[in-house]
Amino acid sequence: MPEAPILVLGIGNTLLMDDGVGVLLVEEFRGLSTLPADEVEFLDGGTQGLALLGRLAGRRALVILDAVKLGAAPGSVHCLTLEQALASGSRSATAHEGNAGELLRMAMMLGELPDRVAVIGVEAASLETGLGLSEPVRRALPAALDAARAAITAARSPREPGRT
Amino acid sequence: MATTTNRVVVDPVTRIEGHLRVEAMLTDGVVTDAISSGTMWRGIELILQGRDPREAWAFCQRICGVCTTVHAVASVRAVENALGIGVPPNADIIRNMMFLAQFLQDHVVHFYHLHALDWVDLVSALKANPSATVALQQAFSGAWPNSSTAYFADVQAKVKRFVESGQLGIFGNAYWGHPAYKLPPEGNLLAVAHYFEALQWQKEIVKIHALFGGKNPHPNYLVGGMASVLNPSGDERALNMTRLNSIGGLIQDAINLVEGMYLPDLQLLATFYPEWSRIGGGLGNFMAYGDLPQNGIGNPSGFRFPQGAILNRSLTAPLPLNFTNLGEITEQVDHSWYGYPPGSKTALHPSEGFTAPNYTDLSPPFEYLKENGKYSWVKAPRWNGNAMEVGPLARVLVGYASNRTEFRDVVNEALGRLGWGGNPGKLISTMGRTLARGLETRLCARWLKAEYEALMANVRRGVLATADNSKWDPATWKRTPALGFGFTEAPRGACAHWIRIGSDRKIANYQIVVPSTWNASPKDGMGNRGAYESALLKTRLADPLQPLEILRTIHSFDPCLACATHVVSNDGRTLAEVVVR
Repeated sequence: MPEAPILVLGIGNTLLMDDGVGVLLVEEFRGLSTLPADEVEFLDGGTQGLALLGRLAGRRALVILDAVKLGAAPGSVHCLTLEQALASGSRSATAHEGNAGELLRMAMMLGELPDRVAVIGVEAASLETGLGLSEPVRRALPAALDAARAAITAARSPREPGRT
Repeated sequence: MATTTNRVVVDPVTRIEGHLRVEAMLTDGVVTDAISSGTMWRGIELILQGRDPREAWAFCQRICGVCTTVHAVASVRAVENALGIGVPPNADIIRNMMFLAQFLQDHVVHFYHLHALDWVDLVSALKANPSATVALQQAFSGAWPNSSTAYFADVQAKVKRFVESGQLGIFGNAYWGHPAYKLPPEGNLLAVAHYFEALQWQKEIVKIHALFGGKNPHPNYLVGGMASVLNPSGDERALNMTRLNSIGGLIQDAINLVEGMYLPDLQLLATFYPEWSRIGGGLGNFMAYGDLPQNGIGNPSGFRFPQGAILNRSLTAPLPLNFTNLGEITEQVDHSWYGYPPGSKTALHPSEGFTAPNYTDLSPPFEYLKENGKYSWVKAPRWNGNAMEVGPLARVLVGYASNRTEFRDVVNEALGRLGWGGNPGKLISTMGRTLARGLETRLCARWLKAEYEALMANVRRGVLATADNSKWDPATWKRTPALGFGFTEAPRGACAHWIRIGSDRKIANYQIVVPSTWNASPKDGMGNRGAYESALLKTRLADPLQPLEILRTIHSFDPCLACATHVVSNDGRTLAEVVVR
């Protein structure tokens, strides 16, 4: 069976302003991308948790786009490794409840986590009810897209020696 | 012996969606009062006002982290109700299949991944004898295929790696070794094995949403029907015969899992925890809006899940609901952090409700909530003034009390197997609530097959319409301004949307009462407790520092307060704070 494409997964709640930045980013990325569809797949994961589990298996790499609250300046773009994402909070690395941390742990437990996982987290400013993004997060979109592109470039590159 | 009083705080209640805090007052280790404080989505009207009613569902379905289909279908039904739009039979069938796939996935995930660990001691599974586990599996479900010594030894080794790594991860933060765990090690190992099996299975059943909704998560709905295109001889872009046939196997797998694994596991729990059929009954008032129309949403008598209310544990004929009576369902805010305008009534129908935050009575940091003041972001909904429980137990009891054969059969069979003396009143308990979820899952699996067969029969007869677009154009809407009401049963219970469409054909107001508003309700102005609060009364805690018994009862309701807007803080690492005074 051919390897499934790299998954670019945006998660978050678009009804809670900056919480939805991951979903907005994945849609923007999908629109701009020239990458072949059999290599990179874009998915709006919304607020879902375990229902996304079936989408992770059999892939070389996973890039998660998400909102985070890690205490940095609003709009800061964090590039987290799997270990960092898991360590940044047991409940969730993220603000919303559709929980990236739990999803990653469950996939890990099933042995279905891709070898390479990157989490691009944008530090949220406002999580009030509403559509659209706060100004600092809106200004951070280009940087977040660059970070996501870099993560995909890294994921498409030949595997490091010693990794299977 | 001197009487001792304690107050136990569980905040947050873990393994739920969203944020819930429970405080229980204890006298000599027994709960004498309890308060439930939660956050609930409030403010969808801010987003929807002024928008096209036909797109409301797309916003509504993002409210919840779990029920992606629930709020979408309630929303399209509210708009259809307001504008007098009917849908073709295939649309109801497809909506029913989406509903049933959601129930199957959600109930199985709730049981194995959110609730079972209240009953199953993971660490004890390490002591199990794998071949004795096979014998236990055979005793409860002989036909289940994964049942060999090697299989259980393998699962045990996996658990051992987790425990020894110290990285319990999703298994962290539980009360392993608590004296209230009663399963033998083999029972624990069996349940943990099924935890993994359920996790694998749940990935498959949600494919039904992608098939009929075009995508998953967040499948597509449509005012007037469904967007699915049925074309048996078409290519893969439509729902052709190849794709429709692919569902049959998924449905059979679901039936096998529910009947061969989930229900036997419930029987195992009920057998080892007999006392929990006497604990946690709560209000004894139940309400189901009903769902799964067979003759259109306007004909509740044809619903597979019947509609009705039960008061004071009376399991004879359920009381009818009347949604057109705006006095029947009201919300109070005496103990909720909202204010109603001066001079307004203290109990308002949701469609005329206000959502003005009024955060009083507390200034953080605080030790305890003020049970006589405002203490929750959840409003207190009431049906004819009564606090009501909604959810699986309510649906099963309303079905039973309605004398529906299917409900009578699954209930009586379960009562017989458990030796509960044919007494359906035993279902009004923590174990009964958990069991009722499994019983309705069994019905749902069979109904999914029946709905699928009905759809396939229509397709074979050439009945392919999935939507009625005759009133798609707002120029055809004759009724505006209009008030509409859409309801459904979410896995967690009765869910309703109210929409007011203005003469400009835009949304003027939109209000939602989600099921956990009923169950997580605080006290009302008369001091009547909500369902969680009531269910905790008289529960004895073995160890107030490890309030496992509180989690059992609260989790039996499957709380979902995912729509939280006030909970985000930097200390996401605080997993559970237990304070004993």
